[in-house]
Amino acid sequence: MNEVIGIIIAAILCWLNFVIVDTYFGLPEQPGVRGASIIGKDIEKRGGDIAGGYFQGNVLCSPDASAGTLLASIGYLLLGIPGGIIAAFLVFIGNRLCADPGYAGTVGSLTATAIIFIASFIGLTPEMFIVGMVIAILTIMGIDQTKASIVLGKIAEKFNRHARE
Amino acid sequence: MFDLMDSTIFFASYGNFLGLSNITISSFDLVLAYIVTIICAIAVALVLRIPLLPSKPYRYSFDVSALYPTPIIAIGVLSLFFVLNYTFMYNGLVLAIVIGVLSALFVKYLFDFVFPKPLDETAGEDIDE
Repeated sequence: MNEVIGIIIAAILCWLNFVIVDTYFGLPEQPGVRGASIIGKDIEKRGGDIAGGYFQGNVLCSPDASAGTLLASIGYLLLGIPGGIIAAFLVFIGNRLCADPGYAGTVGSLTATAIIFIASFIGLTPEMFIVGMVIAILTIMGIDQTKASIVLGKIAEKFNRHARE
Repeated sequence: MFDLMDSTIFFASYGNFLGLSNITISSFDLVLAYIVTIICAIAVALVLRIPLLPSKPYRYSFDVSALYPTPIIAIGVLSLFFVLNYTFMYNGLVLAIVIGVLSALFVKYLFDFVFPKPLDETAGEDIDE
């Protein structure tokens, strides 16, 4: 497959994977640590959404499904499917060191491994998923935090995981 | 860099010269070993009286349970052995059972010592001032 098209498809798959898994496991609902709470309230002051702010703070402060997807892609590139599972195991250890129960990170790694395995049949390689995941994190954290937080807050409302209920 | 990775794994797999492992096992055997270690880990964890599900609320609980994280630890450690090409006897089944039992024992007796719970679980809530 053409590299550029492959990277775009991989970025969309990675974005959906980590946003859905993180939202389902309640990242927008409450800040896990103090830093996430500070980031969330700061984004709300700048006109963003508090649930999206908590989401971004939690992604920043501990390895959740975003880091899980990235590390699973790297593990798959190096070692195949066992590499993705080792990535889930290491993400779990990292989560516990960051005072996080770790459900989102491990489940995100395992689903990312499954997605990369299925997508390998249509010609997507793990390298495309690494680049795609970096682009996906950039759209959440890098371009415009307040607008991204509003989008994340709307997704959180759909999943019934909004901070204010 | 990738040559370094290949040669490291190749070197680590030299343990196979004792004849304790199969040189290659099929993908069916790999899947079977994963399933066996997951079932074995959950079964031994239930025998050791670890609860099946974490305490409520599920998504924020730090308590260990039989479904999480026991199978995660088991398949993670089993994958480490597989990428080192060390599968021991019977196409990896013995290794799968041993790792399942050991991970359940680890979760029951050592987990809270290695990964202690955070002291104040509501630490992120009280900074409104």
